[in-house]
Amino acid sequence: MAGSRRATLRNALARFAAGAPTRVFVLEGIDAPDALDVLQLRPDITFVDTPRSATVLLVAGRLPEAMHEPARRAHDAMAEPRATIWWTLAPDDGAMLPFPDATVVPAQPNGSPAAIVTLARMLARTQAELLCAARPSEPALLADVDPAPWRGVGPYGQGGAGMTGGVPYGRPLAGRAPDRDGLELDQLPVRVGPFFAPFPAGLVLDITLQGDVVQEAIVPGNAFVASGGDGSPVRVTGDAFHAALSEPVRIADLERARARHHLRWLARMLRVHGLDALGHRTLALAASLADSLPRGALGDVGALRRLLERTRGLGWATAGVGVIDPRLVTGRGLGPVARAAGLSEDARIDDAAYDQLGFAPVVQEGAGERTRHAVGDARARWRQRLGEAMQSLELAARAGDRRTGGEGRPIEGVRGRSSDVTRDSPSAMLLALLPDLLLGQEWGDAVTTIVSLDIDVREAGRAPGAAPLSPPPAPQPSGGMDGMAGMAGMAAKGDHTEHDHATGQM
Amino acid sequence: MSAPAGVLRVLSLAVLGVGAALLGGVYAVAVLDRVVGRAIARVPLRLIDAAVTPAREAGLLLLQRRTVTERPDAVVWALAPALLGSLAAAALVAIPLSPALALPDIRSGIVYFGAAMAMVMVAVYVHGWSANSVFPLIGAYRFVAQALSYEMPLALVLIAAALPAESLSVSDIVRSQTGAWNVVRQPLGLPLYLIAGLGLAFWGPLDFPDAADLAGGTRAELSGAPLLLWRAARSAVLVAVAAMGAAAFLGGWLGPWLPGAVWMVLKTIALLVVLLTAGHLVARVRLERFVVVAWTVLIPLALVDIFVSGLLALRGAGR
Repeated sequence: MAGSRRATLRNALARFAAGAPTRVFVLEGIDAPDALDVLQLRPDITFVDTPRSATVLLVAGRLPEAMHEPARRAHDAMAEPRATIWWTLAPDDGAMLPFPDATVVPAQPNGSPAAIVTLARMLARTQAELLCAARPSEPALLADVDPAPWRGVGPYGQGGAGMTGGVPYGRPLAGRAPDRDGLELDQLPVRVGPFFAPFPAGLVLDITLQGDVVQEAIVPGNAFVASGGDGSPVRVTGDAFHAALSEPVRIADLERARARHHLRWLARMLRVHGLDALGHRTLALAASLADSLPRGALGDVGALRRLLERTRGLGWATAGVGVIDPRLVTGRGLGPVARAAGLSEDARIDDAAYDQLGFAPVVQEGAGERTRHAVGDARARWRQRLGEAMQSLELAARAGDRRTGGEGRPIEGVRGRSSDVTRDSPSAMLLALLPDLLLGQEWGDAVTTIVSLDIDVREAGRAPGAAPLSPPPAPQPSGGMDGMAGMAGMAAKGDHTEHDHATGQM
Repeated sequence: MSAPAGVLRVLSLAVLGVGAALLGGVYAVAVLDRVVGRAIARVPLRLIDAAVTPAREAGLLLLQRRTVTERPDAVVWALAPALLGSLAAAALVAIPLSPALALPDIRSGIVYFGAAMAMVMVAVYVHGWSANSVFPLIGAYRFVAQALSYEMPLALVLIAAALPAESLSVSDIVRSQTGAWNVVRQPLGLPLYLIAGLGLAFWGPLDFPDAADLAGGTRAELSGAPLLLWRAARSAVLVAVAAMGAAAFLGGWLGPWLPGAVWMVLKTIALLVVLLTAGHLVARVRLERFVVVAWTVLIPLALVDIFVSGLLALRGAGR
């Protein structure tokens, strides 16, 4: 009797809770549909930043092989009840999906609003069915076993000669090294990515952390590059900028696409800094530019810019972070990053069609009389992109039917110069800057820097010499230096490389 | 009435009252945060959605099973959200809703409030530490650096608010503001208090331990009921901050026409809206920068506040 009453209560709660926004964790694959943004704007969807509390895992696009193992770990990290939905342009390519039970939802290249509504309803129905137990929760894909036996080296299994370092029980323990103040402190090796929510999709970094200071950062290859074969990943379907390389394209379309891209990037930047509401507003502005140029767009972006500058909130978080020396990026066609560092580099300068429009690039000026701010920092980069978005909207409004491209000359893409996708890859160059830039930064600043560079890991994977993802570095099984036992114990708590732990793999 | 029965009555009243204040406050934070967020995002919001959605989300989390990490400190991990919630409840006890509803009118209420809030550092630290995972642990580290920086200004401005009352009782502090509220007498007090309060509740610009750049920090590995409890506890701390701010700086229950308790609730809600709006408009600042600003600007300003307030209180007493 009590049991049945409990079941009735539970059912009532489930029906009530089924109306909550669907908690979705997204795994972005090679050809993740653009319409993810539109999905994120819907009030009945919440994108969560770890798989732990998600009910639906949304796989957007195809996952290259290097991502299969992390994807399975993310899946198993989700709390039950859970389900997987695969949203893809190529539903027949089952080899690109590591989930046997996933529901397949076909996507369209230029996601129509109706298709997004269908997908959102599908997500909501899945969550509702899971809660009401009308749909079984997906079982774990990986065996829940310890990745290494709980037996280490040395008399107490501590892994080595001393109390720190080594690999006790197969788990790397923090070693000790001098920190920035000259103290001997624990160093923790961690692999972050490819599904770490604050990072660009697919980015993987091997980081050595001391407290929250990055002591070393290595880019261990590109998760989108297939191992073996010719090393080139699946081509992404071309956008306006790719099209302009081979045929004339309306400047109005190009500039609208540029403004949309910069706004989407800004939304990401705002969310990483905890400003979800402003990020939502920015993303909605970007989405409104998808098909045409709405009348009030320029005014809306201007209002957003005034708000961001007046509240100073984002400025405090980004000033002086991730400063790029202009000499490092001169002449490399790095677009907004170069212009934010004070360089007047823009492929549009030499374009007759832009010349007719009276185009002059937006460039962040050096430390002038009025500002104490450095150029080339993360603050300069968001101001630069916001400025460029406004300029693009203004150009798009009066470009009329003017066209550019298709003459073999370089095109100014959203991240910089692109003459031939196999030769110029701003993202690959920016990725190569990361190890030096991140050195010695606190974790929050490191994330700010990474996001501020707007790296597209997929694009970087198309550059010649892009290497496939290498496995995590094997910990050295040698003993560490002697240290204080208390500190060593604390360090051990932070260690994990196991599938039980979601965040290290995300 | 025999003494034990009286004690029992007061106790049950206190538990009920604080429980209701906590639940109502936490739910109010969820609703207000939604309303403020949607207004800043410029998204229309139906009031019924704002009111019901937090409950639906809570129901969802209640039905979600909890997950475990590899070898967490299970007991501590489970208890940390409860500890944070209890600390918020303990702090609320010290704040009188009205002269009649000051449940236990603690004579050193402001010290007691500070003591409960100092323990928040322990709750957040062990919460991040016990998950046995990298990002929660970094969140825990961060909070220690953060706590050392906001606690001094918090304590100093509260002591300054107690000086004119010549009492550490929160009720006396409210009564001392009959002529002029502390927000007028001590213009430095409320802004400093609110900044420190954001740090205490690790909210918005001072959300270092649970930040987005750590994919949720100390709560990154949480799901289900523990996540719900942790979020509720954190909101409860924010409620305690706002309520104490209303009592210590905005004259608590003082006000014309309306009953005192209504004034107190309105003032608390007003401060909550200010705090939540800051959370939506100001990005998470850099931890290093916050620590530097706290020690070179906030603490000196708090000292100025306490010296000036002390001087004024002495002159007032001498007259």
